[in-house]
Amino acid sequence: MSKELARWMDDLLQEIDTLKFERKNERRVRVDVDSKSVHSLLELLRGRASFVHLSAISCVDWIDEGQFELVYHIWSYEMNTLVSVHTRISRDSCSYISVYDIFPNCAFYERDIHEMYGMYFEGSPCMDKFILTEWDGPPPMRKDFDSEAWVNEHFDWQDYHPDWLQELETQGGGIAIHPEEQRFSRRNKE
Amino acid sequence: MMKNLENIPVEQRRRTNPLAHVFDEFMAFCQSRSLFMLHYCTGCGAVELPPVMTSRFDGERLGISPMVSPRQADVLLVTGYVSVKTLKRVILTYEQMPAPKYVVGICSCTVNGGMYWQSYATAKKLSDYMPVDIYIAGCMPRPEAVISGMRDLMEKIRTGKADSWKDYFRNYDHYLGQQQRLFGPKWQTPTDIIGEAEHYGLITKNTRGEHTRLLEEHQKRLEPLEMRL
Repeated sequence: MSKELARWMDDLLQEIDTLKFERKNERRVRVDVDSKSVHSLLELLRGRASFVHLSAISCVDWIDEGQFELVYHIWSYEMNTLVSVHTRISRDSCSYISVYDIFPNCAFYERDIHEMYGMYFEGSPCMDKFILTEWDGPPPMRKDFDSEAWVNEHFDWQDYHPDWLQELETQGGGIAIHPEEQRFSRRNKE
Repeated sequence: MMKNLENIPVEQRRRTNPLAHVFDEFMAFCQSRSLFMLHYCTGCGAVELPPVMTSRFDGERLGISPMVSPRQADVLLVTGYVSVKTLKRVILTYEQMPAPKYVVGICSCTVNGGMYWQSYATAKKLSDYMPVDIYIAGCMPRPEAVISGMRDLMEKIRTGKADSWKDYFRNYDHYLGQQQRLFGPKWQTPTDIIGEAEHYGLITKNTRGEHTRLLEEHQKRLEPLEMRL
């Protein structure tokens, strides 16, 4: 039964021109859709096709293209299928409309994305700080946030060559690769 | 109330008993043999503590046993990475412990951030924020290493060298400065450290400074918690 349902859904989704449909495997479907149509598609899938469970909303920062990608993962217990609805939002506007009226449990995911990427969701019940309650820097999961520079600014490092270790180092002990060389290797390559 | 307390005469007597020194050594020996540890299990190193405490390695044969409350604990075990949020709680816990108190940093993360050296969310050096007696490096250290580290700590206590808790009172300005650097100028804890330092007679010129002045500027009076059913 569930296979038949899945086939019907495939046929229906393929007929819509404005979205790109791709079946990854038996239980996974990827749908790429314009940011304007996400809500109607989710409404349709939830109301008419039993996709009642929003598992997660994930966000990807495509910095070179100047876009954020939002992925809504929704699951159907009837069809045993996970549909991932992908959409792109401009990095400059950095705001989007909440899906709180369709899936109320999106509130936490949206709050999390707001904190980590700085994306504002209109209509979401709470956009306060969530996990990083002490944080006052830029949103840390953005690609242009330099974690290393931030760490160097806010923390001191332990001395790797203290006096008491010198005796061991002359005997060939101690640290083989100096942490300074390892730590900033990535930056030197650029 | 506070004024009345200040008026109580405190008599500083010279110690004349010839056996006082012997008694001190005996006290130190007893202290080293009865450590109540508060394990603040922040990270993955906590996994190594159950084997240390249970029958396989049996920490209790050395007199180390777990304690539930910081008010009655001697040793604070910080096992694993300390995130900035956790660090606040660790400092609160540390300040609640009665002196003499000892801090043991387990795992590489407490030494220098470990594998989280690049993370914006974890504190790097535990000894920046509170004095640490013993570091047990490793990712993670095996129970043998933990036992060995604890034995080192016991030896330090027995010989009277484990006095880094005094350092917190003597250089409070430095530690508070590091804490303020991370938590912002409005950081405050419910414990009156300078008052305690006066109590222990450990006030030095480094106890007060620009950071404690900043604390006094922003300090809010603590209010009792609202109880609600």
